[in-house]
Amino acid sequence: MRMDQTQRGWALGASAILVSSAVVYVLNAFESTQGPRGGSTSGLTFGVTGFGFMIFAALLGARKSVPTWRVGRAKAWMRGHLWLGFLALPMILFHGGFHFGGTLTRVLMWLLMLTVFSGVFGAALQHYVPRVMTSDVPLETIYDEIDRVRSLLREEADRAVESLCGSLGLSKTSGEEGQRAGGFTALRTIAASAVPLRTSAAVSAGASAAVATAPEIVLLREEESAPLRRFYLNEMRPFLERPKQRGQRLADAARAGSTLAGLRTLLPVAAHVTLADLEDICDEARQLTRQERLHLWLHGWLLLHIPLSLALILLGAIHAVMALRY
Amino acid sequence: MRSWRCATSPRKRVARTRTTKRLAQRIDLNYFKRPTPLKRAKFWLSLLLPLLALIWIAWRGFSADHRLYSSGRLSEPHAVLEKECAACHVQKAGAFSAKAADNACLGCHDGPIHHAQKPAPACATCHTEHRGRINIAAASNQACAECHIDLRTSRGATQYASHINSFEDGHPEFAALRSVAGLAPSDPGTIKLNHAIHMKPIRRGPNGPAIQLECDNCHRATAADADLTFADPMYRAATVSYKDTDEVLSIHSETMRAPGAVTGRELMAPVKFANACAACHLLTFDKRFDEGVPHDKPEVIHAFLVRTFREYIAAHPAEVRAQRDPSRDLTGKQLLPAVRILTRAQWVAERTVEAEDLLWRKTCKQCHTLAPFRSGLKRKIEMSVTLPGDAVEISSVSTELPNVAPANTTLRWMPHAKFDHGAHDGFTCASCHAKALTSTEASDVLLPGIETCRKCHAPGPEHAESRCFECHTYHDWSQRKEVKPSFVLPALQTGK
Repeated sequence: MRMDQTQRGWALGASAILVSSAVVYVLNAFESTQGPRGGSTSGLTFGVTGFGFMIFAALLGARKSVPTWRVGRAKAWMRGHLWLGFLALPMILFHGGFHFGGTLTRVLMWLLMLTVFSGVFGAALQHYVPRVMTSDVPLETIYDEIDRVRSLLREEADRAVESLCGSLGLSKTSGEEGQRAGGFTALRTIAASAVPLRTSAAVSAGASAAVATAPEIVLLREEESAPLRRFYLNEMRPFLERPKQRGQRLADAARAGSTLAGLRTLLPVAAHVTLADLEDICDEARQLTRQERLHLWLHGWLLLHIPLSLALILLGAIHAVMALRY
Repeated sequence: MRSWRCATSPRKRVARTRTTKRLAQRIDLNYFKRPTPLKRAKFWLSLLLPLLALIWIAWRGFSADHRLYSSGRLSEPHAVLEKECAACHVQKAGAFSAKAADNACLGCHDGPIHHAQKPAPACATCHTEHRGRINIAAASNQACAECHIDLRTSRGATQYASHINSFEDGHPEFAALRSVAGLAPSDPGTIKLNHAIHMKPIRRGPNGPAIQLECDNCHRATAADADLTFADPMYRAATVSYKDTDEVLSIHSETMRAPGAVTGRELMAPVKFANACAACHLLTFDKRFDEGVPHDKPEVIHAFLVRTFREYIAAHPAEVRAQRDPSRDLTGKQLLPAVRILTRAQWVAERTVEAEDLLWRKTCKQCHTLAPFRSGLKRKIEMSVTLPGDAVEISSVSTELPNVAPANTTLRWMPHAKFDHGAHDGFTCASCHAKALTSTEASDVLLPGIETCRKCHAPGPEHAESRCFECHTYHDWSQRKEVKPSFVLPALQTGK
């Protein structure tokens, strides 16, 4: 959720609560002979309020898991989660008089601080990372499907290379071709083409104009396709299979561009279109890797935030019962 | 970098076509049903952490460790009771009450009430526990301000400042420095000491070296060894007929005693002649003798003089032939004959009168306040000298002994507060008692004012403690009662 003008109402409301609570706290602290105590009337009020805010913030999870509940808009719940969840920290600090107390209360205080700070960190990430994602990953896909899309890209690249170099034993059967990576292979398959195969020698002999204007299957001779085959098998396919492996030239856009430019000089003109497509596939694979990394930043903090908040609610309830009873 | 190129690009090729439909086709519509590593980790951690919390609570419960629910660590003196909740919290139906009972506190230490205030507040009102390793005796200013912000007595008026909120707010200047009925504050002491002269280089004797006195040459804490630089062993060894306690002002009866053990470094010891003055201020009385008179009451000095002169004339009988000193004719009195033959008794009487005249009018008077010679103290002293052949020669002389005022040294300038010089050892005396460098009158009160204290004692972490308890005590320890011990060491250590 972006922190923009739409949050103004919540921000003002939260600030008002914080300031008025701080005033009440300071007045009580000065008037009380014992200093601020959690068991005093104001201390208990702060404690109940803070715990209420925590409960409300935790209910966001329930609200998300049952989106059909007609209990307010999800956006309002999210804003309430952000601002009231944040306010829980000062309320509890006022409750305890900025003392961490005994074992249980100390644990609770640390849990609360970790939860709130991880939440603030997450909110900051939710504000900035989507913008980075939009600019850096225009081919963003559903995170859960990244592995699947990557395998489709690999198959697409296999077919493109085999269209020039002949079978490398990499392409899947035609039955599997129903799953496409959104590329061009559906338009240009070797097996389905009715156009007679022509060698690059024929192209260079004078028919290049026809080749350039119409899609066709161009099968290179073995020695002509050797640089492409070597590049694909040694560099590109390992990159598509293990894009996060370190030290790969294709993982870097600049180095990949220069590598493919060099390769372009070794291949006949008829193969350049396919080479450009391979370049596109590499770029998309790089974007998917970038998306994975950004996604981890965007949602990784939840691994800390959610378990901590659940433990906090549980121990907070125990603390409330024990403190009120005794 | 864009990853698709349109069909009309200059490269004249069939581009990778990326339509929404084609992109959608590659997505498995049931993808959200499949657990991803991130989702799985989130689920298990959300289960595991609360479970661990529950196990922790249950484990502490089974091991009967109630410290879990303690609202904080105990203060330093009570740290040994960390496991012994029941020592202070009364147990009801297996559970502990939140409030500690006063009886629990009084079981170990008495807390005599403050003046006659009724009803006395509960111990925990001022001494708040479970606040960590704090000083439990350190009550808050608010606790004192409850009454002192608007002090009232049953009679209505009070002699004390009645609107004190804290040391910074409403605390009056120290009583010793306040003017009373338009009269400037005055030191009741009678010893005439010019501090300004003593703090400058002094030539010791007509031809002696110039010396620079330091404050601690004269002023030392009660428990500290006296500085003997300017002491005289003879006077230190001598017994005197007066008591030191007669020379100091008694402490006001309303003063509440401090609870802690007295270290002897809180207050300065009264300055003693034998330790600090005798080396320079000689009590010589006659050129025939090097030694001085005792530092004692006039009667003792008189007896010493008579005895000394009597012994002297017995040893030097030729000196009864008195020859007038040519330089002694400037007094305006009728001159004695140039040469006279005195009896021994006459000689002793004349020498005694001369010596006492020197002492009472100059030597003693330099420091002591001598009351006017009262007729009651005028006495006729008969002096007898035993002559050879057991004949007794009797002579008499009337002499007047002065009345020496008690020193009235003030040991404790702030009767309602405690001050510890030992805690301020690191500071030079003059940094607080700056007036001592320029004071010329013994009546000057050299006690530093409240503003001097406030330079260091102020609220905030960068200042020294300034709360009420730092100088004042609530409990009237003069009413202290002994308590009956109830704990044994192992129980406190193990909590069993």
